[in-house]
Amino acid sequence: MVVDGVTKASFDELVEIETNDGERRLGKVLEVGSGKAVVQVFEGTTGLAITGTRVKFLGKTMAMPVSQELLGRVFDGLGRPNDGLPDPVADKFLDVNGEPMNPQSREYPTSFIQTGVSVIDGMLTLVRGQKLPIFSGSGMSHNILAAQIARQATVVGTNEDFAVVFAAIGVQYSEAQYFKRSLEESGALKRSVLFVNLADDPAIERIITPRVALTVAEYLAFDLGMHVLAILTDMTNYAEALREISAAREEVPGRKGYPGYLYTDLANNYERAGRIKGKNGSVTQMPILSMPADDITHPIPDLTGYITEGQVVLGRDLFRKGIYPPVNVMMSLSRLMKDGVGEGKTRSDHMEVGNQLYDAYSRAQEVRALAEIVGKAGLTGVDLKYLDAGDSFETHFLKQSPDENRNLDETLSRAWDILATLPEGELTKIKDKHIQQYYKGSK
Amino acid sequence: MSLNSLERTIDKVLSQKESALISEIDSALQNSLKNLESSKSSLQVEYDNIIESSKKQAENLKRQIIGSSTLNARNKELVIIESAIDEIFTKAKEKLAKSNNEKNYEKLLTRLIQDSSTKLGSEIIIQCNKTDLNLVKKLVSQESSNSKSKITVSDEVVDIIGGIKAASVDGTMSLDNTLDSNIESLKPLIRKEIVQLLRGENK
Repeated sequence: MVVDGVTKASFDELVEIETNDGERRLGKVLEVGSGKAVVQVFEGTTGLAITGTRVKFLGKTMAMPVSQELLGRVFDGLGRPNDGLPDPVADKFLDVNGEPMNPQSREYPTSFIQTGVSVIDGMLTLVRGQKLPIFSGSGMSHNILAAQIARQATVVGTNEDFAVVFAAIGVQYSEAQYFKRSLEESGALKRSVLFVNLADDPAIERIITPRVALTVAEYLAFDLGMHVLAILTDMTNYAEALREISAAREEVPGRKGYPGYLYTDLANNYERAGRIKGKNGSVTQMPILSMPADDITHPIPDLTGYITEGQVVLGRDLFRKGIYPPVNVMMSLSRLMKDGVGEGKTRSDHMEVGNQLYDAYSRAQEVRALAEIVGKAGLTGVDLKYLDAGDSFETHFLKQSPDENRNLDETLSRAWDILATLPEGELTKIKDKHIQQYYKGSK
Repeated sequence: MSLNSLERTIDKVLSQKESALISEIDSALQNSLKNLESSKSSLQVEYDNIIESSKKQAENLKRQIIGSSTLNARNKELVIIESAIDEIFTKAKEKLAKSNNEKNYEKLLTRLIQDSSTKLGSEIIIQCNKTDLNLVKKLVSQESSNSKSKITVSDEVVDIIGGIKAASVDGTMSLDNTLDSNIESLKPLIRKEIVQLLRGENK
C-alpha cells in the first residue's frame, strides 16, 4: 500500500490502518521518500478502499508486551492472544527487532540440555545457548520431532527454570492444532509460549513471527533468568515470505530469487541465541527448515549452515524405512557437543561413546555397501558384526517412539548395548577404564 | 506260540512302554521345571519393566494434571482480572464524562485544541461531544483571537467522553485528540498498575 503526502515516516515504523467500516489493521513502513511511504499491511490489503481508508503512523516500531504471564499462552504470528484469553499484562514493551548481543559479553555455551531423544542427546548434544538447526524435507517427521523436543526438553540436575518458546511459521491449521494439543496434553504448555502463524496468513506476518518469539525468549532468558529453548519451524516458509516481499519491492534477486540479504536476515534471527556474561539465563535455538527437494545446497540450508553451530539432518532413506526420528547421523553434527558433555556435565564416557557410535555406524554403512556387491558370504567375521551393529543402531538406539522420553543414562546404556555387539578390540575411541566399567560384550 | 509266551511278550512290551513313558514324563517335568525357573527371571524383568513404565506414566500423568490445573487456575484468574479492569475503566470513563465542569478540564481542552492546530496546520475543523460544544466554541474563539490559526467548530457532535477530534480542511489528515483515544493508548500502562493493585503488589 502506498500512502501519499507523508513527510515524517520512518523505515520499519508501525502503521495503523482504519478501513471504511472501522476495522483496524496493522502494517509497517517498508520504504519512504518523495512524500510517499510504502506500507506492508500485516493482515493483507483485501477490502481496503482507496477512499475513506485512514492511516495512522504510530511513531514506533513493533513492540511486544512481555511478562512472565506469557508462559502458558498461545499467540498468533504477530503476538496477539490466540487462546481466547485477554491481552497479557505487560511488564515492559520490547522492540521485536531486538538488540544485537555484544560479542564481548557473550559467554561460551557449555551446559547440556536433555531432549529425551537418544540420537540428539547421545551423539548431537544440544548445549544451552547453542543454535542447532534441523534440516528436514517435505513430508518428513520434523514437526513430530519438534513437538517431542518441546515437550521433553529440560535442564538436568539443577533447579533453574526452563521454558520453551515455540514459533510455528507458515504451518497448516492441522499442524498448529497438533503443536497446541501436544503441549497441552503433556502438561508442557505451562512452561511454554506458542506463536502460531498459519500458512494462509499474509507473508509479512511470517517475517514478524520469529522476531516476536525471540523477543519473548530473550526477555525470559535475560530478564527472568530462565533457560529458554526457542524452536522455530519452518524457517523455509520464513525465507519464502522474505522472497515474496523482496520481489514486491522490486529488489534485485539473488540465488533462486531470494534477496541478497537473506544471509544477513537469517543471521539477525539466529544470532539472537546465546548466553551473556553475568546473566543466568540462556537462549538456545532450534530452527527447523525443510529443504526443497531434499537439496542441502539450497540457499536456505546452505546459508543457515554457515551461521549455526552444527545441524541435525533428517534422512529420506531412514524415513522410508519407518525409523523415527530419521536422523542421518553421518550428515549431522553438533559443533558445541564437545564442550557440553563429559565429567561434571553429563557422564565421563559420553563423548567417547558418541564418537565410537559414529565410527561403528560409518563402518556399518561401508560394509552394507560391500555386502550388496559381494554378498554376506564374502564378508569377514568382524564385518558381519559391524553389519549387526549398524542394524542394532537403527532399531535399538535411533528408533524411538514420539512419546518416549529417554534420560541420558538410558541413552548411553543403549549405546553400550550396540557397542557390545563389537569385539572389545574394535572400541578404539574409548578409554580402557570406560570399557572396563561399561562394556557388556564378551572379552 | 503258546498262550503263556504271548502274555509274557505283551507284558514285556507293556513294561517297556511304561518305563519309556515314565522317563518321558520325567524329562518333560524336568524341562517344565527348568523352563519355569528360566521364565522366573525373565518374568521378573518383564514385571520390573511394567512397574517402571507404569511409574513413569503415573509421573507423567501427575505432571500433566498438575500442569493443566495450574494453568487453568491462572487463566481463570486472568479472566477475572480482565473483567475487573474493564469495570474499572467503565467507572473511570463515567467519572471523566461528568468532569467537564472542572477547571482542569477547560485547561486540558485548550491544550488539545492548540496541539491539534500545531499538528494539522492553521486551518482545521474540530468536533466534540454535545456537552462540550459551547465550551469548545468559547475556547476556540479565544484561541483564534490569540493566534493566526483558523479553527472551525463543527455543529455535528460526536459520541465521545471528552476531548476533540480535529481534521484538516481538505479532510486528508485527522487527529484523534479525544479522551477515549488517550485512555486507549495509555491502557496497557494503566492496566499494569491496576493489576498490581488488585494483586496487592503495590504496597
